[in-house]
Amino acid sequence: MYKRLIPLLVLALVAACGPRIRPLVPVMDNGEVLDTSGEETVARAAEVSAAERASTAAALGEIEAEALASCTPETCAAIARGEVALGMTPAEVLAATRTTWSAWETRGASDVTVMTGRLGAQPPSDAVGPLAFVSLQDGAVRSYTYSEPQGFRTVNSLADATTAGRADAQAEALLREGDQYTVAGRLDLALARYDQADILRPGDPQTTLRIARTLDKQLRPIEAVLRYRMFIHQMELEKIRARGEVAANVAEAIARAHERIVVIEKR
Amino acid sequence: MTGNPIRRSLTVVVLGAAIITLPGCARQVTRIAPEQAIDLSGHWNDVDSRLVAEEMIEQSFSPAGGVSWATRFSQVHGGEAPTVIVGTIRNRSMEHVPVGTFVNDLERAYINSGMVRVVASSSERVEVRDERVDQQQFASATSRSRLRSETGADFMLQGDIQSIEDREGGESVVFYQVDLTLVNLETNEKVWVGQHKIKKFIDRPRFGF
Repeated sequence: MYKRLIPLLVLALVAACGPRIRPLVPVMDNGEVLDTSGEETVARAAEVSAAERASTAAALGEIEAEALASCTPETCAAIARGEVALGMTPAEVLAATRTTWSAWETRGASDVTVMTGRLGAQPPSDAVGPLAFVSLQDGAVRSYTYSEPQGFRTVNSLADATTAGRADAQAEALLREGDQYTVAGRLDLALARYDQADILRPGDPQTTLRIARTLDKQLRPIEAVLRYRMFIHQMELEKIRARGEVAANVAEAIARAHERIVVIEKR
Repeated sequence: MTGNPIRRSLTVVVLGAAIITLPGCARQVTRIAPEQAIDLSGHWNDVDSRLVAEEMIEQSFSPAGGVSWATRFSQVHGGEAPTVIVGTIRNRSMEHVPVGTFVNDLERAYINSGMVRVVASSSERVEVRDERVDQQQFASATSRSRLRSETGADFMLQGDIQSIEDREGGESVVFYQVDLTLVNLETNEKVWVGQHKIKKFIDRPRFGF
């Protein structure tokens, strides 16, 4: 009798040691036919997308018509190139950046306003780069600022907007960055930034001097000497240029003085 | 003449068994709808792939936060649809999972919706580039495709599949987690993360027919 009960008791004990699971709740039966919700989602998205595209195209069309109706030849050329320019109206800024008002937030009073990219979205950009903000005064662009790898770069004069002006600003930013690396003791990174600045603004004595000093500190004497010599040479050129400018200014001043003497004496 | 009755009855039994058994051994194929969910082994199968694809499509187009990433991009880019390239979807699970099935479903959904443009992935474009280069030499000037006119992607789709298995005796629980991420190629910003989880309880009887 006991012999028969022992295996049953063992089985009962083993069963009691196993994990206890509440009744399982299946989410799908085997053999169940699934619905095609994915197709419906895509169809719905396609409808929404088509409607959005149509409304954006209509808004862009209106903006471009408004912008091109009143733009000056220079501004029209900038819109065609896709570049923001000084003096543009808000509609012209939108046309140049191929955006609608939904991409921008406007802050400020009626006479001075700032257009910035909508929070949480990618910043609007023109052909040059992403725009951090655009400042307007009396409805015309007074300045605009790009968000670039070296930091913000503001354009508030025609010279800043040229390729040379941009390169100059970027070279300045790279020199600043290089100086920071020098202070931090990362001479290799500093030298890389100075080299980049030298490419953007070639022949600048201050850049050459920084490169020479960095090479000197990196114990690369031959290259350092070459750069020091180049710096001296560039300074000589600077002196000649400065003298030329002074001489030209002096000559101009002398000529004006003579002219004034003649005018005064005639009176 | 009458023979051994035992032998005769044995022959009858064997023949009867053969008549009953042989048709059962013949292969049977039944075509069924792809929408029908059938689980046999408990391993990753077409149903899992389908569920992942549908969930990812739903999450991609109807986010909980309201405006989808594609709409946000379009608003800033004058209504232009974002361009996506499919990167690597890593299978970190213990079993073979063909990721191409649900990734292709997602690509198809993107293209058909018109909300997102998709460009050929790094493995796909090699053949296309070869053909384009070939055209420069052999195709007529009016029909050849131009070089350096590819569309650059704005976002890359990356992801992985992971699984956790818990087994005891003939019972096991398998958990799959599929994560897909869209990364902005310029800024590294993750603009969308889709996730789907699947859990299966598999009971394998030790003895059975």
